[in-house]
Amino acid sequence: MGSGKMLLLWLLLVLTGGCSGMMDDIAPSGTDKRPVVACGITGPYVCQDAPDFTLSDTLGNMVTLSSVVLSPGVRGTVIYFTMWCPVCDMHISNMRSSVVPNYPDVRFFLVDYVSGSVANARNAELSNGYSGSGFTVLVDTNQAVLGSFHATMGTTVIIDATGVVRMNEDYKDGSRLKSALSALP
Amino acid sequence: MNRTHILAALLAGAAFFLPLSAHSGSCCGGGGGIALILPKFYTEMIDVSADLEKYNGYWDQKGIHRADPPGSDLQQYRLNLGYGHRFSPRWQASIIMPYVWNSNIYSGFSSRTDGPGDMTMNLWYEALDDLSAWKVRDLKDLTPSVLIGATLVIPTGISPYDDVNSSFDVTGRGFYRLDGNVIVSKTIHPWTASLSLAYGTYFERTVNMEYGNYIEPYHKKLGDRTSASLSVSYIYYLGTGGDTITGTASLSQIHEADTTINGVRDPSSGFKKTSVGGSLGYSSTDHDWGARVSLNHAIMFDGWGENFPTTDIYTLGVSYGFR
Repeated sequence: MGSGKMLLLWLLLVLTGGCSGMMDDIAPSGTDKRPVVACGITGPYVCQDAPDFTLSDTLGNMVTLSSVVLSPGVRGTVIYFTMWCPVCDMHISNMRSSVVPNYPDVRFFLVDYVSGSVANARNAELSNGYSGSGFTVLVDTNQAVLGSFHATMGTTVIIDATGVVRMNEDYKDGSRLKSALSALP
Repeated sequence: MNRTHILAALLAGAAFFLPLSAHSGSCCGGGGGIALILPKFYTEMIDVSADLEKYNGYWDQKGIHRADPPGSDLQQYRLNLGYGHRFSPRWQASIIMPYVWNSNIYSGFSSRTDGPGDMTMNLWYEALDDLSAWKVRDLKDLTPSVLIGATLVIPTGISPYDDVNSSFDVTGRGFYRLDGNVIVSKTIHPWTASLSLAYGTYFERTVNMEYGNYIEPYHKKLGDRTSASLSVSYIYYLGTGGDTITGTASLSQIHEADTTINGVRDPSSGFKKTSVGGSLGYSSTDHDWGARVSLNHAIMFDGWGENFPTTDIYTLGVSYGFR
C-alpha cells in the first residue's frame, strides 16, 4: 500500500512538474508584458504601419489591403483571423450582430488561414452561414498574412484610414473593438 | 461488515463516475470534473481511467447543430489518476489529476499537443446512508443515501492564457472553480437511481496573455456553472460467486452562464450541453476491484445545446479499494 501511494505521488509530481506556463494559471500575473514597439515602421503592433498583403476572397476576387484602406469613405478596416471553430463562430456571430451594423464606413474581413484553397474556404463560409453576412472572407492559403500580423485564432486587427494598426488582440466581447472603432479619426 | 451495505455503496460509487465525467473535456479544456467516491468501509481507493473524446460538430449560439468542415478529425485523450481517502466514517476526500493529449485536424489545420489537465480536489460528507433494501417493507427502507460535497478545480492545465496557438491546443480552462455538490441515491435491489446536482463558481483572474500574445491586462471571470445528472443502474449477479455487472443509463445537462470581462457581461459566451450516457461496471467478488466501460453521447440535434462542441466520450476505468 505504501508503494502504491508513493507511485501515485510520483506520477502526480512528474505530470505537474513538466508543464511550463502552469504557474501563469495557478498564480496569474496582472503585469503588462507587452513588448515595447517602435511606431512608424511596418509591423503588426499598435501604432505601426500595417503590413500590406493581397489575398483572394472566396469569390476569386483579389483584395489588396492598402487599396481597401485608402478607398474613399472607408474610415477603418477590421481583420479577424478565423479557423471556423466554435469559438470563432461565437466571436463572428457577436461581431455580426453587434458591431458590423453600427459601422457602415468600416470594412470587415475574415481571414481564413486553415482551408488552404479558395474552394474550401467558400465551402466553410457557406456551411457556417456567413455568405452575404457583411464580412468578406479572404483566403490565406500559406498563412503568410497570419504570420505577418503575429496572429492566431481570434486575433482581431483594426487598421485606420492611414494604414496604421489601431488594435491587434484576441476578440473578447466586442466592447474593445467598438471602442477602438468609435475612436477612429 | 454488512455485505448489502458494501454492495450498495459500490454500485452507487460506480454509478457516480459516469454522469460527472460527462462534464469534462471539449475544446474548452480537458480533464477535471470526475468524482471519485469511496464506498462504505473502504479507507482508500486508487482509480485509473482513460478517456477518448471524439468531436463531431458543435451547437452554435442559437442552438443549431453545425458539422465540422469535411476532413476534420478532432480527438482528445485523457489519462485520469485518482486517489481517494476516508478520514472518518462520514468524511472522505479525493484528488484527480488528468493528463491530456490533443490530436486535431480541422480543415487544413493540424496540431498535436499534450499536457496536464485541470486537477480536481473533492471533499465529501455522507449525510445519510442508504440501507439498500432488497424489498421495501418499511418506510425507512426508502431512505436514500445523501452525499454533500465540495470540489475545487485547480487550473493546472494549459489554457488559452498560455503560449498556445488555438483553442484546440488547450488542456484546461485557466480558472479556479469551487463547486457545491449533492448526490442523492437510492438502491432497491437490483435497481439504483441517482440524482447528482452541482453549482460552481469561478474565481476572477487577471489575464495578460491570450493564445501566446501578451495583451493589455484585464479581469475575467467565467460564468457560474450548474449541472444535473440523473442515472438509473441495474445490477446483475454473475453466478453464485458474488461477481457483479452493473449497467447504468444517465441523462446529464450542464449550463455555464456568461463570462464577465472587467465586470461587464459578455452575452455571447455562455453555453449549454445535454448528453446521455451508458456504462457497464464489473465488480469482483470481494468488491475490492472494479472495472468500467462507458459512453457519453451529446445529442447532436438542434436545441440540445448551445455554443458548445458535440462529442462522444468513451471511458475505460479500473479501481482498487483498500479496506
